[in-house]
Amino acid sequence: MSLSLSGKTAIAGVGYRQYKRGTAPLPERGVLVRAIVDACEDAGFDPADVDGFVSYGDDKNEPVRLMPDLGTRRLNWSAQVWGGGGGGIAGTFGLAAGAILTGQAKAVVIFRALAEGNSGRLAAAVMAHHLNDHMVGVGQVAPAQVCAMRAQRMFEYHGVPRGVCEELVRASYHHGSRNPDAIGYGKELDLKAFRTARWIAEPFRLFDCSRENDGAGALLMVSAEHARDLRKKPVKLLSVAQGTERGWGDLLENDDPALYATGGFRAIKDRLYDQAGLTPADIDVVQLYENFSAQGVASLIDHGFCTYENVAEVLKFENLIAPSGKLPVNTSGGNLAHGFVHGFVTAVEAIRCLRGESPNPVPGARTSLLAGGPGAPTVSSAIFGVD
Amino acid sequence: MAQMVTGQVGAEGPYWDALAQGRLRLQRCTGCGVWHWPAVWRCGQCGSWDHEWVEQEFVGTVFTWNRTHHRFAGTEGLPLPYTTVLVELDGSGVRLQGLLEGPEDGLRIGARVTGRADRTPFGETSIPSIRWSLA
Repeated sequence: MSLSLSGKTAIAGVGYRQYKRGTAPLPERGVLVRAIVDACEDAGFDPADVDGFVSYGDDKNEPVRLMPDLGTRRLNWSAQVWGGGGGGIAGTFGLAAGAILTGQAKAVVIFRALAEGNSGRLAAAVMAHHLNDHMVGVGQVAPAQVCAMRAQRMFEYHGVPRGVCEELVRASYHHGSRNPDAIGYGKELDLKAFRTARWIAEPFRLFDCSRENDGAGALLMVSAEHARDLRKKPVKLLSVAQGTERGWGDLLENDDPALYATGGFRAIKDRLYDQAGLTPADIDVVQLYENFSAQGVASLIDHGFCTYENVAEVLKFENLIAPSGKLPVNTSGGNLAHGFVHGFVTAVEAIRCLRGESPNPVPGARTSLLAGGPGAPTVSSAIFGVD
Repeated sequence: MAQMVTGQVGAEGPYWDALAQGRLRLQRCTGCGVWHWPAVWRCGQCGSWDHEWVEQEFVGTVFTWNRTHHRFAGTEGLPLPYTTVLVELDGSGVRLQGLLEGPEDGLRIGARVTGRADRTPFGETSIPSIRWSLA
């Protein structure tokens, strides 16, 4: 019996609304309803027929509460991926596909919603998941600090040049500057400002860090067969993997020394590519969850796009930008320059870039890789494709 | 048991009791001898439920470090900037974080450090924690 889910489900609708932090025009659940209806309209699908929901990162919007606004007829299935950070973002696609392919649900919305006025600061919510006296007692209370520890090891011990972070951040801002929906629209990264910005936690300065937005995103998944009858070109889920391995996790910084400075994806990389029957060379565009610049670099290494040895040759600005780069990354601007609603914009762009709807199109792109939140105790990634 | 502020992770109560008294004790499995950190109730390597808490020296090597400049909520008890080091202990190989005190010239991965127990102010209370110094 073949249990592969590859190519059997598809994203049929996309909805995404983003606002400056603290300025959402509606409370969080209201913004989420808008995004879900947007996704359904995009697909030409009645919101009342969505019968499944899945989220990640401790989202507070229990699906049953969405039913009156959506007109939901039957709520057949709902779930959430464990973990407080962005590690579960791509894992949602695996849960949704599992539900659809086993007949538990027919149309599943994958979502995430955040408004500071309702859920507070994301950074605080993530850390509430992890904080303990070991950390607080040594002044380590924020994701930026935890990731800074790992970044320092990656630079100083593993020899990754710090300049590669600048190349990645520049590429994100370059794409964001050409995206009217991005916080960075119309603004290329000022390199001098980048290099002299205030320190947050060494080795990170301000522009190494993603900054939170209010907003909500929703993606409608149905079977690949069903998607063919809907309005938009189906973007198929080719593979998804989530999890970790011994030597990685919430281990009080006692991760295996070979894994410590990584993004945590080595445990899922082979499963991810094997399920799709692809290799890193087959990926046309990468949507990379970069909570912090160094973790984005670590994630690209983990996913097999480069190594500690050749990272400086591969992660060059010219190579990372659409349409001409060999490894276009974050074509809408990513978390850094498009906006950060717990990384959801990377999932949205992983679909749009294969529909020809990207603000920075990659000509002929047929595969996209969504690299989920790096550094989380459990991580996940997914690969999408179009015929 | 030592008073907890944000809570312990799991089975490391004796660690906190010792640290509050200025000493360092770490958990070792009496079944197979492996050091466990974070502390466990059951040894996932050999299945033993029996452990001993072994006194260790505050001596080790810098594994990595960061220096905090931004005033994150919850760090008000610490003057900015402050440097946090992750130290791999001699003997057990367990890694423990602490605040770096004293001169910082020569701070690098691989630098030798010695330490002592102290307390970090937090709101109305304080948390036992380690201070490391470059050797």
